[in-house]
Amino acid sequence: MDTVLHLAALTVTALGLTAALVAFAAAGRLRTAMAVLLDFLTAAGLLRLAGDPNWDTIAAAAAVIAIRKLVAAGLYAGRPGRSARTPS
Amino acid sequence: MDASLDDVLPEASLREAVDLLVRLVEAAGALIIFAGAVWAFGRLLVAAVRGLPDRRFNRIRLGLGRFLALGLEFQLAGDVLRTAVAPSFTEIGQLAAIAAIRTALNFFLGREIAAERAEIERERRKEEVEPHGPTTP
Repeated sequence: MDTVLHLAALTVTALGLTAALVAFAAAGRLRTAMAVLLDFLTAAGLLRLAGDPNWDTIAAAAAVIAIRKLVAAGLYAGRPGRSARTPS
Repeated sequence: MDASLDDVLPEASLREAVDLLVRLVEAAGALIIFAGAVWAFGRLLVAAVRGLPDRRFNRIRLGLGRFLALGLEFQLAGDVLRTAVAPSFTEIGQLAAIAAIRTALNFFLGREIAAERAEIERERRKEEVEPHGPTTP
């Protein structure tokens, strides 16, 4: 099961990179492309956490997700026409 | 007492049954997340080829976020099931770490989904007020 999950995570990462490139080409905005990429990378991180992970996998997934949240928070705060306050 | 209970429901069998259930539930969660990623990828390609507006990408991201939240719910259910049998301290630590990551992510995802939904709703209302978009000179 771990091999299947690893393959699935790799596939999602590849899909995310392609989707981000496509989104950038279509929308012409780096922010949109980055948001798309981060969503896919989160999905890949979650897939890696499934199965029987060891401490290294857990730490790596936690770090990736934390970075992703930080960047997403920055993107959200920088969105035009919106205050930095997040809605509850 | 212990011996008779073990005859009725051996601990090893219980562990095996719970392990099987955990694997099934986690596999379902992983499948939902993978399916969501493939779905979002397909929708993004279609939106890009058709030259749909930027906000369409946010809608697709909202959809992917919903898939991720649903997959996380399944995976958290798997975590809860894991606690049914007494694991070792190492396993408890790993379980706690994974459950904490998933719970935190589920919380933040929920907030993001609410924020995206509010943004889309705001844009929709704006379009209703100005059906032809901003006037150009």
